[in-house]
Amino acid sequence: MRTEAIAAPREPVAGGTAYGRIVGLGLGELARSLSGFLILIACIALGVAVIAGIGSLSDALRAGFERQGKVLLGGDVTLARPHRRATDPERAWMTQQGRLSETATLRSMARRLDGAEQVLVEVKGVDDAYPLAGEVRLAGDADLRQALAGLGAIVEPILLERLGLKVGDRLQLGRSQIEIRALLAGEPDKIADRFTVGPRVLVSLATLAASGLAEPGGLVRWRYAMDLPPAPGNEALDAFRARVKADLPESGFGVTDRSNPSPSLSRTLDQLRQFLTLIGLAALIIGGVGVANAMASYVDRRRKVIATMRSLGASGRQIFTLHLVQVLALAAIGIAIGLTLGLLIPPAVDRAIAGVLPVRAEVTVSAGTMALAAGYGLLVALLFSLWPLGRAAEIRAAALFRDEVAPESRWPAWPVVAATLAIGLTLAGLAVATSESRAVALYFWLGVAVVLVVFPWLGSAVAWTARHIPRPKRPEIALALGSIGAPGGLTRSVVLSLGTGLSLLSAVTLIDTSIVRELQTRLPANSPDYFLLDIPTEELASLRTLITRRSAQAELHEAPMLRGRLVALEGRPADQIKAPPEAQWVLRGDRGLSYAETVPEGSKVVAGAWWPAGYQGEPLVSFEAELAHHLKLSVGDQVTVNVLGRNVTARIANLREVHWENLGINFVMVFSPNVLQAAPHNLLATVSLPSSFTLAEEAQLSRDIGKAHPAVTVIRVKDAIDAFNVVLGKIMTAVRVAGSVTLLAGALVLAGALATAQRRRIKLAVILKALGGTRRQILTMHLAEYLVLALATAGIAMLVGAAGAWAATTFLLKVQFSFSLAAVLQSLLVAIVLVVAFGLAGTWQVLRAPPVPYLRSEGA
Amino acid sequence: MAENVIELEGVGLTLRSRAGDIEILKGVDLRVAQGETVAIVGPSGSGKTSLLMVMAGLERATSGSARVAGHELGGLDEDALARVRSAAIGIVFQSFHLVPTMTAHENVALPLEFRGIAGARERARGALDEVGLGGRLEHYPAQLSGGEQQRVALARALVSQPRLLLADEPTGNLDGATGRQVIDLILGLGRRHGATLVLVTHDEALAARCSRVLRMTDGCIVADTGSRTAGVGTAAPVGDRTGATA
Repeated sequence: MRTEAIAAPREPVAGGTAYGRIVGLGLGELARSLSGFLILIACIALGVAVIAGIGSLSDALRAGFERQGKVLLGGDVTLARPHRRATDPERAWMTQQGRLSETATLRSMARRLDGAEQVLVEVKGVDDAYPLAGEVRLAGDADLRQALAGLGAIVEPILLERLGLKVGDRLQLGRSQIEIRALLAGEPDKIADRFTVGPRVLVSLATLAASGLAEPGGLVRWRYAMDLPPAPGNEALDAFRARVKADLPESGFGVTDRSNPSPSLSRTLDQLRQFLTLIGLAALIIGGVGVANAMASYVDRRRKVIATMRSLGASGRQIFTLHLVQVLALAAIGIAIGLTLGLLIPPAVDRAIAGVLPVRAEVTVSAGTMALAAGYGLLVALLFSLWPLGRAAEIRAAALFRDEVAPESRWPAWPVVAATLAIGLTLAGLAVATSESRAVALYFWLGVAVVLVVFPWLGSAVAWTARHIPRPKRPEIALALGSIGAPGGLTRSVVLSLGTGLSLLSAVTLIDTSIVRELQTRLPANSPDYFLLDIPTEELASLRTLITRRSAQAELHEAPMLRGRLVALEGRPADQIKAPPEAQWVLRGDRGLSYAETVPEGSKVVAGAWWPAGYQGEPLVSFEAELAHHLKLSVGDQVTVNVLGRNVTARIANLREVHWENLGINFVMVFSPNVLQAAPHNLLATVSLPSSFTLAEEAQLSRDIGKAHPAVTVIRVKDAIDAFNVVLGKIMTAVRVAGSVTLLAGALVLAGALATAQRRRIKLAVILKALGGTRRQILTMHLAEYLVLALATAGIAMLVGAAGAWAATTFLLKVQFSFSLAAVLQSLLVAIVLVVAFGLAGTWQVLRAPPVPYLRSEGA
Repeated sequence: MAENVIELEGVGLTLRSRAGDIEILKGVDLRVAQGETVAIVGPSGSGKTSLLMVMAGLERATSGSARVAGHELGGLDEDALARVRSAAIGIVFQSFHLVPTMTAHENVALPLEFRGIAGARERARGALDEVGLGGRLEHYPAQLSGGEQQRVALARALVSQPRLLLADEPTGNLDGATGRQVIDLILGLGRRHGATLVLVTHDEALAARCSRVLRMTDGCIVADTGSRTAGVGTAAPVGDRTGATA
């Protein structure tokens, strides 16, 4: 029977005063030994800082969006759609709403007049009212209107560099020669336009019309910004949306307002916040292991003190309370430091990468963000300390005279076990509830379970192996293996603390390698070399002749290309459909649409049947099978798209499996020809050149296409892949930096574990010195131990990381898994540097320690 | 006259602490000849263990000179001191101080292995046979009783055939009967190996079994009785004082 079960009813002073005294006693003790808990505090502060910092940064950017929304959007509200300029009645309606500005954006080629160079550019045609809000900043004292007058253009400086031109020179845009009048230094509404891939060329709408690039069929996005009088609140914005629905029901305009000027950027920001918060939580949980280690060792050091308290009449509950107060105080310090650091992250990021962010990030204090970060910190601190505290409550007075050789190893009382479980579940629930993607949060918790179960198990396996391999001849190595194999040794702590971060880094590196290799070396032999965009239908024949005249083996595959937006599935408006995250993009914004007489190359019909040649019946559409599955669509269902300001409803005739990886032309939705044939549209084409074609021949062909077909945009697949790789590289670097936080948490835990083990290590070193061991022999022993530990941890991290990367590439990204030596070396290097550097820092102290205090018998 | 294994002249040991300097040993003079068995007795805090640690080269005298097994310890660096210990000094501690991750056999072989001596394992087995633990070679310290652990420590101390065996309260953690067995072994094996024995003890009966008893108080040797050999620098005056205080 437990002692406190008897003692509790007899406590005459178990009222508030007694517990008040315990709280005072706990805090007093803590104040005297605070320096021993620095690592514990750092473990909590780090994770809380990451979560609070990410949240604050996201809050700051969001606040910036809201504050500067009108400038970022170019007006209070905008309407945008592809292909079709606003009709006169639509324009009249817009003019009624308030001041209006019209812009058109498209991708095209800018060429030197001598045809020697050409660059993919983002053209933006603007009217005289542009910009309604904010200002276009030009280099020098150039004037916007003067620069745009006639056939004038304002360009980003990088374009001049690439084309080898200067201000005052002229360049070819479509069929016009335009003069470069000024350099663009800042464009207020840049983020409201689509993701840009090339330098900006700003012209007047008249210049754009003269270039012939904005003719019907071209991939032009028309955008109308309006200034609503008088300055409306959010209700007025909602009312505006309602009016668009009522008055322009089939216009196909996408509506954006100043409260969220770039929904796609906000969405990316939200997803990034969730992902990075999970990383912060991972760091916090790894730090939690440090908390558990620190508390267990604290309780262990205090066994005699606790036993003395018990012998003086303290109940188990009082002992528990006393230590709980200390944990709560330590957690509060860690959380306070973490929140403070977190608040400093937005200004620090702003200072570091001010040019990259669309808005300024300032210090923002959001109660929700701070509460979430503090809540995570507190829950993790409790989750990992209740167990050792529960065991402290079980220490009995008998521990005072019991031999320490056989310390009792009891489970905490059931309320402590239940509370630990409940806190774990709350933490899991909170993470799942605050993540948009439940699946990601669940994967995360699966990962945590792996970390807390698999890594300790692997640590034990390493220790077991060290105990069971034949004893090496050299005593230093034998001692090192002995330390690794010792039951209370460092092995489990090191494998767990560093293994987690290293596995994450290895997985990221391997996923990165797999994607890059897939793109660079595994492109199917029949993948195209060029994409040609915006080919006017009537120019196809001459283009084909131009290409095949150069090489009879060159292949050109073309497909009609329009842009349109999904407005309804089975009659349900697209904006009311809750789709899983991986399918949401289909429902947002404009999609490429096409039509075909036969099944497109690279596709396979997996359900339903393709339409017969010359089909003239009700509109039919072929839908990509996987997305159809996510959107719960099947053969026979109806989808409505808005094309060129007209709603078209078609029945799904079949589902197609698409092999996107061969980079052929493919679309989510391919209609029967009778639906779209009559609409004005251009063609998209792929060109595959024979391998004998030289780079010089390729460049010449590309220039000739530019000369003969000025409206056609030429994109080299290799360049596009390289550009993608650059973006991918940046994303992977960001993920790696975020992942390093977990490594930092691991390093803290490692430092804590080493500090805990330090006394034991000094004692062993002193014994060895007494037996005739030299400092070099002791150093060799430590080095051997740390190297073996680092190698084992790196090896395990590689295995776990590779398994994770394999699962991610195979099931999530669907690319072939590639192994990389770089990942192995990176893991090894980080492990060796961290373990050996941290470890040997302690060894210095071990070698310098005076032997006598450790050799004297306690109490002698 | 037998050669002196230990020659201490004016050995002082002062430790610095926040409360000020503490003088642990105050100018100790002592000579111990080869083959002597010497017990150091005295109250707690009198400097017994510190004196033993100076002899072992584990504590450096802050004044005076300490010559042990022919080596002037003051001039040696830490590694040289370690080499002197591994070649000439065996030490037995009250708390045994066995390496917990090593078997009895490995613990005993360790000093020889540090010196790179061939046949270390065989000699270690022989040493364990001598202390009656030939059957417990592969046991870890935690699997042995206190008495057994101390016998392993004794085997480890003697396996290098040291000229000097130092023992700090070797029976302090053992019950009476086990303690007596261990002392029998220490004295018997020490004699058999021709080692000089210096042991620190509180146990007067144990001290009486030694050929010479040094009594310490407050960092000084205040009595030196039963010395069989000449050459104990302070024998006469100390003897006088012993007479006065006994």
